[in-house]
Amino acid sequence: MAAGLWIATKKIDYTWRWNRIPQYFLYHQEDLQTVPFDGRVSRIDKLGDKTIVSVISENGDEKNFEIDTATLQVDVDDELLVGDEVGATLHWRAGPLTLGLWTTLWLSAVASVFGMVIGLVTGLCRVSNNITLKQLSIFYIEVIRGTPLLVQIFIFYFFLGTVFDISRIVAGISALAIFAGAYVAEIIRAGIQSIPKGQMEAARSLGLNVPQAMIHIILPQAFKRTLPPLAGQFISLIKDSSLVSVIAITDLTKSGREVITSTFATFEIWFTVALLYLLLTSVLSQVIAWVERRLAVSD
Amino acid sequence: MIKTIDLKKIFTGRGQTIRAVDGVSTHVESGEVVVIIGPSGSGKSTYLRCLNGLETLTSGHIIVDGIDLSDKKTNLNLVRREVGMVFQQFNLFPHKTVLENIILAQQVVRKRKRDEAEKRARQLLVKVGIAEKENVYPGHLSGGQQQRVAIARALAMDPKVMLFDEPTSALDPEMVGEVLEVMKQLAREGMTMVVVTHEMGFAREVADRVLFMDHGKLVEEGTPEHFFTEPREERAKAFLKQVL
Repeated sequence: MAAGLWIATKKIDYTWRWNRIPQYFLYHQEDLQTVPFDGRVSRIDKLGDKTIVSVISENGDEKNFEIDTATLQVDVDDELLVGDEVGATLHWRAGPLTLGLWTTLWLSAVASVFGMVIGLVTGLCRVSNNITLKQLSIFYIEVIRGTPLLVQIFIFYFFLGTVFDISRIVAGISALAIFAGAYVAEIIRAGIQSIPKGQMEAARSLGLNVPQAMIHIILPQAFKRTLPPLAGQFISLIKDSSLVSVIAITDLTKSGREVITSTFATFEIWFTVALLYLLLTSVLSQVIAWVERRLAVSD
Repeated sequence: MIKTIDLKKIFTGRGQTIRAVDGVSTHVESGEVVVIIGPSGSGKSTYLRCLNGLETLTSGHIIVDGIDLSDKKTNLNLVRREVGMVFQQFNLFPHKTVLENIILAQQVVRKRKRDEAEKRARQLLVKVGIAEKENVYPGHLSGGQQQRVAIARALAMDPKVMLFDEPTSALDPEMVGEVLEVMKQLAREGMTMVVVTHEMGFAREVADRVLFMDHGKLVEEGTPEHFFTEPREERAKAFLKQVL
């Protein structure tokens, strides 16, 4: 199959330009240094990579420019006019793919934290004896699970965003967190219900009240059991975060699209973007696997 | 210490009505060891679970140390910390070590300092004979050891009464002895105990009073000598014939 794909790609005459990809992660930016007055170069001191150029104006004012030696454009005694370039300083700058990756990372992280909190609270309401809380949580879970995330994002951005004047970032994070929360709630509920009744009875018989028993006895055990499904949920959340690119949040997916418009390196960029998502999700998988091993000591 | 007046517990569900405890009135004195025996489904476990409010009563009164459990205003958590309970299935907390199992409620409920709680826990572990296992998780202990930890966990709250719900029924036969030994020692020390058990030998040896329950009713009540040798009721006689 790989060979077939390779031959087919050959046939369409696509020129692969993988070498153009790295600059969209990190690039060297030149900041041009220009003289603010008419003057003359009085002195040039080369200190390895750096060079200090001193310029004296017609009024006798002196100004020093520190630039990178490789970009030096003047000699001693050159006459300079306002706006002439002396040289440049070079800075490493993060490219759009790096910035997009970072946006996706923190967006998912914030949405995960809120999703977890919402899920935990809803899950507890779902198992509570209070009919109102229970019905409300069921309603929330059904509504969120029964509608597409893309539509929810549009509603959050176009409807709630307009009515309550919230920014696209807040709208995007809220949509993701509330979406994830519904699934987390069901996972938490299943986890709590999987703990034998005797655990709660033992805790209560020792005089712990329900919240204390939940915090010290039930939830730690439920958390351990629900870690694998929760991992799956948060990996989904990272992937689903690509949908917020439709409300013009410059996440990894949108950055990829932007780079494509200026390079036409469609294939390379999408492969790169896919790999970056894979990188994020596999790091998360590893972290959770580590936590699982840590918690397994009591088995 | 514990007084029950016309206690009733009725389960309803799927169109069935089960009168698990049906009008039991009795009294447990301070320092007394009361053993409840009876056939399966006779309501003895349910009765015991009512005594610390794990089951809500349908009607009647339970007065523990002067506090009425059937009163809606009673804070059950305050009563429960004075009433220790040991379960058939141990119900140790599997995510905590033996020591943590015993200090948790001391810290959370009794608000003891950690070192004070640890000291008390170690004393009790010595008492139940498994001091060397304090850093082991319950999953690595035998049934008998787990049950002894569960007894230590309940004792750590310094309860006024201990309830035992068939504490040896889930144990392998060779482990029954070690648990009963701990319970006998407790009885000798003057702990007020209510024990549901099928261990007739224990009932005979340790009990101050035996209660025989059947179909939710308290059928017969008396000293072990009286109950095991010359019971009045036919149902008690039939039961004893089967188990002895």
